[in-house]
Amino acid sequence: MSESFSETTVSETQVPETQLHHLPSGLTLLLEPDPAAQTVAAGYFVNTGARDETPAEMGASHFIEHLMFKGSEALSAAQLNERLDDLGGNANAFTSEEATVYHAAALPEYTPALLDTLTQLMRPALRQSDLESERGVILEEIAMYADQPPVRVIDELRADYWGAHPLGQPVLGTVKTVSALTRDALARNHRERYGANQVTLAVVGAFDPAAVLAWAEAELGGWPAAAPLPTPQLPAPVHPGTVRVVHDPSLTRVQLALSLPGLPTTHPLREAAVVLADLIGGENGALYWTLLDTGLADGADLAHLEYRDIGTFEGGFSCDPDRAQTVLDGFRAVLAGAGDLITETAVRRASRKMAVGTLLRAETPHGRLFTLGMEHLAHGHPSTTADLVDRYTRVTADDVREVLRLCPINNINEFPPTVVALGPIETLN
Amino acid sequence: MTIGAEGTAAAPEVQTGTTQNKSGPTVWLWTLDNGLRVAYERRAGPGFALDLRSPVGSAHDPVGFEGSAGVLEEWLFKGAGGRSARDLQDAFDDLGVRRGGGVGPEATRFGVSGLNADLPGALALLADVLLRPDLPDAELAVLLDLARQDLEGLEDSPPDLLAVQARSVAFDGAAAAPFAGFAHPASGTPEGLAAITPTSLREFLTRYGGGGSVLGLVADADPDAVHDLMTSTFAEWRTGQNDLVTARFLPGLRSHLPFEDGEQTHISLSSPGVAPLHPHWLHWQLAITALSGGSASRLFHAVREERGLAYSVSASPVVLGGQGFLSTYAGSTPARAPETLDVLMAELGRLPQGLTEAEFVRAKTGLTASVVFGAESLRARATSLTRDVAVFRRIRSVADLRGQLAALTLKDVNAFLEGYDPAGQATTVTLGPVEVGAVDPADAVTEVNHV
Repeated sequence: MSESFSETTVSETQVPETQLHHLPSGLTLLLEPDPAAQTVAAGYFVNTGARDETPAEMGASHFIEHLMFKGSEALSAAQLNERLDDLGGNANAFTSEEATVYHAAALPEYTPALLDTLTQLMRPALRQSDLESERGVILEEIAMYADQPPVRVIDELRADYWGAHPLGQPVLGTVKTVSALTRDALARNHRERYGANQVTLAVVGAFDPAAVLAWAEAELGGWPAAAPLPTPQLPAPVHPGTVRVVHDPSLTRVQLALSLPGLPTTHPLREAAVVLADLIGGENGALYWTLLDTGLADGADLAHLEYRDIGTFEGGFSCDPDRAQTVLDGFRAVLAGAGDLITETAVRRASRKMAVGTLLRAETPHGRLFTLGMEHLAHGHPSTTADLVDRYTRVTADDVREVLRLCPINNINEFPPTVVALGPIETLN
Repeated sequence: MTIGAEGTAAAPEVQTGTTQNKSGPTVWLWTLDNGLRVAYERRAGPGFALDLRSPVGSAHDPVGFEGSAGVLEEWLFKGAGGRSARDLQDAFDDLGVRRGGGVGPEATRFGVSGLNADLPGALALLADVLLRPDLPDAELAVLLDLARQDLEGLEDSPPDLLAVQARSVAFDGAAAAPFAGFAHPASGTPEGLAAITPTSLREFLTRYGGGGSVLGLVADADPDAVHDLMTSTFAEWRTGQNDLVTARFLPGLRSHLPFEDGEQTHISLSSPGVAPLHPHWLHWQLAITALSGGSASRLFHAVREERGLAYSVSASPVVLGGQGFLSTYAGSTPARAPETLDVLMAELGRLPQGLTEAEFVRAKTGLTASVVFGAESLRARATSLTRDVAVFRRIRSVADLRGQLAALTLKDVNAFLEGYDPAGQATTVTLGPVEVGAVDPADAVTEVNHV
């Protein structure tokens, strides 16, 4: 029977090659043609995000992202929106701490329109009249998240953990900063942070790479340059190891979040750190069997978050108010026992799951686009799907033990996690 | 096990090829003796995705035992086929497969995806869960308590609470009897959870079987081998029960649920729509795309782009009890909510006047693209295969759907819209600190200018 089912292993799977081009303007072009694909996806990956903002201008990156959809000098907001919908309505954008990404996917016959429209979007007019209505939308977005306790508790945690470090700033900004951002401030942020050297255009799927390269050379050659972003002397993260309770008697349950030091994106053991987080806080991890399988909490996890120069292990749980202390103690006990979770079998199991997941995520151009663009922003060079899969397949138990030595998250007495709990409780130890 | 006429390429219900393989049919539909239908699409590539849809959901919970379907789905994974819960999860992980699925109002889905070579292993594990679950009594108390926690968690999530409230107001609970129907969330009710016992759940499990269930599979494997694998795997599965729960819509109602500390007022409008098997289904889909399909769509433009009233605004089709409904949502801070509601109603209210040529063309492009995108990923395609067979009673190929969309004219759609009035019959449910309508409109204007 089984010979009827292809025995191709994860590493043997054929994946498309990536082309890297540097345009004279300084803009980077990544092309990954796949003739077998049924669609084409394109995205502008801008190497800037919330961590590049001053505290007074918190939310500027995200505000700019919204304003990009309000039209260029050549197109009104309504015209741009119509053009985006004419592509099939698959355009969107997101802002994170380190990147701002504008992306769209379309049927292959729309490739020229896709590239042209996405490029119009990248040349915003930043009109004052559009700014005011969009400010209302963003304030509604802030209000929406303020109604979501799991989001609130993460914002509180990051403020404690990072202190004055810019990774502690909320991506959306606050009602105060968003209400105060002026057109001049937004235009200056845009001019300084959207220079050609900060921008990568990635195209994946069914398209002709020679035609797209020729188009890019003609259309993107004049992209304005900007001075390199200053690399400020950053305040060290505080990670004070404190336990803080945000008392909110209107809530029914307790949401708790905690954070510990991890590894940066560029670290060679980054995949091993992801495996360690999975052994502790993945779907089949120790937290699940200790806290969920026993019914103590109805959610508990731990993930490895990576930034360009620093990383964290961040996780948490939700539970009944009167169980919060028991669950937190259980969570700490799982962390303390992390060393025992690292066995050859467990590591092989987790790394295989990651490798297969990486491979299958790349099956559609839109899925592959994000990995390609974000990996390039992080490392300065593209990684093929085969590379990424291979990095997971090679993770050993020794690698994971080395992560635990570098990030002693099991040594909870000497390096306690920073904890914030939100809910109808007064105290927590 | 028989391979019926529908298993041949000539049958009208079955498409005869996708772009992957031009030499012959690439989709097969088989019906096993116990009624299980298997829709298989062969596609070159390293991976497979499988979606098994059983026609038992939270609406089928017996009255007084609300939460049965939700708790049972969790219980099934607490050990099966001689493996403990933990060994079972390890066995799935050893294959590197990803599990998905969950309990909806009308169906429970079990999804698995991974590499082609691991399909037989993954299917064997799934069959253990469905056909040979341990159902240990000792685990049930924990699962009932988790459902209780989930239920209490709803109180902290206004949009989810609104969705539950909207169904409970808009649908006549009594019409669903002897089933509990659509008024409660999948986690149940406190009373229902208190009544559930190991015996009641084991009895409930007998609903699950081949009858009405559909397994959608996309993989790269010989169809004869897939057919043999399915036959041997599910030979011993019972027939089960396949009941459609009646969804009787109650039009024109208005209800407000106070939520004192909320930052926003959440608005839900439920309206009648078009049934999946009705000839106007695609006309309706196209109209909804023009209403809410993209950033130039009517709702997005009028509520968000033009007035900045909300971040989140949308309208989407919902199928319940074999009928279609339109579900419209927006969230605004309390002072703006009355205007948001007015704009929503005005946009629904002008649908009968029809679409413009430009809106029609754009919506058609959007819908055509979404058909292709929906079939592109393995998991999405497996799910649409299953949904096609369960809801549309046939496999709709991408080419077929694109052809039908291409044939649709503006005149057709506008003729349909002339008789479609979702505003006139809408049932409105709001949730927030202030009842919508109780705010002085002058305050709303001040608030808008204030930002």
